[in-house]
Amino acid sequence: MLEDILGKSKSLFETGAQSVLRGQENRLRSVVINQGVLVVNTRSEESGVCAKVYKNGVNGFASMAEYSEAAAEQVIKAATTNANYLRKYAQTQKGVLPSISSQIINSKRFIIDFEQKRIIDICQDIDAYIVKHCPKITSRMVNYREDTMEKFIYTSDACDGHVAYPRCRILFILKMEALDGSTVELHEIAGGFGHIEDHFQNLDYVYRKVDETYKRLCDKAEGVYAEAGEKTVILHPDVAGMIAHEAIGHTVEADLVLGGSVAGQNLNKKVASDIVNIVDFANTYQGEQAPLPVYIDDEGIPAKDAVLVKDGVLTGFMHNRESALHFGVEPLGNARGHVFSDEPLIRMRNTTVLPGKDKLEDMIASIDDGYYLLNTGNGEADLTGEFMFGITCGYEIKHGKLGKAILDTTVSGIAFDLLKTVDMLSDEVTWCPSGTCGKKQLMPVSMGGPAVKCKINIGGR
Amino acid sequence: MSDMTKITKAADYLSGLLKEKQNLKAQFEISEITTTEITVENGDFSLLRTMFDKDVAIKVLVDQKPGTTSINSFEEADIKDALENAITSSASAVADDCFNLAPAIKGEEFTRGPLEPDMDTLMSRTAELKEAIAKEYPNILLMMGIVEHVRTDSMYRNTNGTEDVVHSGVYNIYLEFAGNDGNNTSGISGSSISIETLDTPFIELGRIRKDLEDAEKSVAPTSVDGKFEGKIIFTPECFKNALNTYMQIALSDIVIVDNSSLWRNKIGQKVAADSFTFSVKPWDKRIIDHEYHTADGFRSEDYTIIENGVLKSFATSLYGANKAKVERAGNTSAAYVVEPGTTSLDDMIKNIDRGLIVGAISAGAPGVNGEIAGVAKNAFYIENGKIVNAVTETMISFNVVNVLNNIVDISKEVLCNGDFVIPYICVDGITISGK
Repeated sequence: MLEDILGKSKSLFETGAQSVLRGQENRLRSVVINQGVLVVNTRSEESGVCAKVYKNGVNGFASMAEYSEAAAEQVIKAATTNANYLRKYAQTQKGVLPSISSQIINSKRFIIDFEQKRIIDICQDIDAYIVKHCPKITSRMVNYREDTMEKFIYTSDACDGHVAYPRCRILFILKMEALDGSTVELHEIAGGFGHIEDHFQNLDYVYRKVDETYKRLCDKAEGVYAEAGEKTVILHPDVAGMIAHEAIGHTVEADLVLGGSVAGQNLNKKVASDIVNIVDFANTYQGEQAPLPVYIDDEGIPAKDAVLVKDGVLTGFMHNRESALHFGVEPLGNARGHVFSDEPLIRMRNTTVLPGKDKLEDMIASIDDGYYLLNTGNGEADLTGEFMFGITCGYEIKHGKLGKAILDTTVSGIAFDLLKTVDMLSDEVTWCPSGTCGKKQLMPVSMGGPAVKCKINIGGR
Repeated sequence: MSDMTKITKAADYLSGLLKEKQNLKAQFEISEITTTEITVENGDFSLLRTMFDKDVAIKVLVDQKPGTTSINSFEEADIKDALENAITSSASAVADDCFNLAPAIKGEEFTRGPLEPDMDTLMSRTAELKEAIAKEYPNILLMMGIVEHVRTDSMYRNTNGTEDVVHSGVYNIYLEFAGNDGNNTSGISGSSISIETLDTPFIELGRIRKDLEDAEKSVAPTSVDGKFEGKIIFTPECFKNALNTYMQIALSDIVIVDNSSLWRNKIGQKVAADSFTFSVKPWDKRIIDHEYHTADGFRSEDYTIIENGVLKSFATSLYGANKAKVERAGNTSAAYVVEPGTTSLDDMIKNIDRGLIVGAISAGAPGVNGEIAGVAKNAFYIENGKIVNAVTETMISFNVVNVLNNIVDISKEVLCNGDFVIPYICVDGITISGK
């Protein structure tokens, strides 16, 4: 755990400059067992301090790979010098950022470190289970990854805080020979916020995921190509979470709105059917801790929920302090940096489509010819609202019943067009707590949703 | 020359600790990295960053069991803890004789590029770039421009006696922009390049002008009509991503060791059109992002993966090569060089009856079977030899591995952006579908 040694350095902030000093440590624990052999066995730490200084409408930033008071003094000076230097070249004049009432905000839990042997033992147990229970596979991989971060945040005119984000997950990949001799594969992830004993003390739920994934892989080995074109589909909550994050979330980040995102011209307009609500939760969902609880961001802003779509109407964007000033709204704590040398960017936290009232079985029964899309590997979105994500697992729906599995494909569409086709939502949100967003810096995020019935373009042959 | 005092002191300390250990092979790399980065957002300067970073990366093999660690501290106590951590971690691993390090090679000291940034020129070139974009491309919104200088000093050592020292400096330019006519916006476009001098106005570098022009022409795209089989031209940046895919799903340790690569048993066999030759050449004069030694400690050497359509090598590390009983690749970099053809890009376009030129493919990462279905991004529809319009909501599907057999043209123009040298590549037999 980091020592709280930076508080005194606040006295070094230049009067009139809006400054943030951040001390941070990131830890990585990584194990990869490929075909039963431990090929990656890594423990790493990186820590340091950074300062961001907003002055006369521009930002100076400096970071140093050293967690000390001396380093804090150096980065505050360097960041202030950088802001002064840059002002000579900038043309735009921007105002002072509104001050925030000062308070101290701390995380509710911190990081516990475990021996590598414990991690390797767990991965080997899962690998052994796969070998025993998945006889038809041709290869396997088990990958444990623990990315944790701890931060001290000190500001000149906002809140101070001490926060931690412990997070770990196990990913396993199974491969199998398909009917045509090619190789098909599926992956699954278990884990989320917390440490190894929160998620992997008992491996029964991981084993259930292995069993389920193996069954789906056997189905996929006999799978067919999806038929290309616009189809009615049920998006499993894991896939719906990708809609919330990729298709909607990115288009309503204020930096992308300023860059011309289609969301900019749709604020307070109908962008979805009446039953669609989308929220970026800060730290609490339905009275319980959200999968990635953020209490204060890296600009010292207390984190609050950001309502993005309410009853089908686009109601707001996500901001940092500068963009909130530009749009004349309150910042809600979305500015985060990944490692100590990263400047905070506008990032999502726990972004989800809110649940509806339908049952999944009724939703499937309502489709005569379509697809049930269960799993996704990655996704991207664009300023235009055009999005895509890869589908690694899915089934045909014929006459209200699940049919053959489909092979890997990609779905795409225009976000707001898709949301207008949503006519059923299941009654429960499932979170994907292990997401990582790749916008300039990697950043832990979580996303979720109910099962969603909608129309979407599906790629195929 | 840089002050290597801190790096050398840390390296000597770590070497001393390693000498005290029994039954252990090890390698480490100790680096100091200083980055100076200018950010332009929405057309104006917004951020100036200075980052002082360091890294100690250690890999140990204890009784043929691996452990790795990294820290960003040169403090002796931290280095000692890190080494003990790696050794302790390795105890839980399974021994495998295929893990190893390179034997000793003749160590050298390499220096490349501008080690110190010329800040005033860098600022004025950046200002010149944003002004040129504003003046010459009025329908471009420069969302973000990052111009940086990165200085790296590093020392590599292993317990077999190798020591390499590297000093390098490079300027990197990344631009993210969109066409925007006030009412409509294009998708996000980008351009990037690495350079070693500031002699040339940035806007004249690489494909920056072409990318800006394409974005301006993309504010009112339409979907292609129906579904058909046609040709597509990969831009060099787009084909670089395809090469990354080959590395992952057809050439890497994992897919060679587990036999899932479609190319696993095809060394010496045809896997591409005769005109296609693909190498990885860190020593090519046009490559700035240079690798001096491999991740295993061998002196990096250029090598060819596909020569005139015939598969010559996998991209296997020492471990992958030992495990799969194949040849080790000559280097572990991504310095891709694809040999040019004889056709001009204009003539390639003229030779297409119906198809697309594609700047990026937004798709789920393909599995080892190579099947890919994705959205054509930064793409234009071609009909009867002419570019007709930018496209949206247009999907393409093909097998990314097998498509190399369908190459019909390779351009004589190549894009050298510092870390790759790649021409335009035209392939046939692509399924293209609109809404």
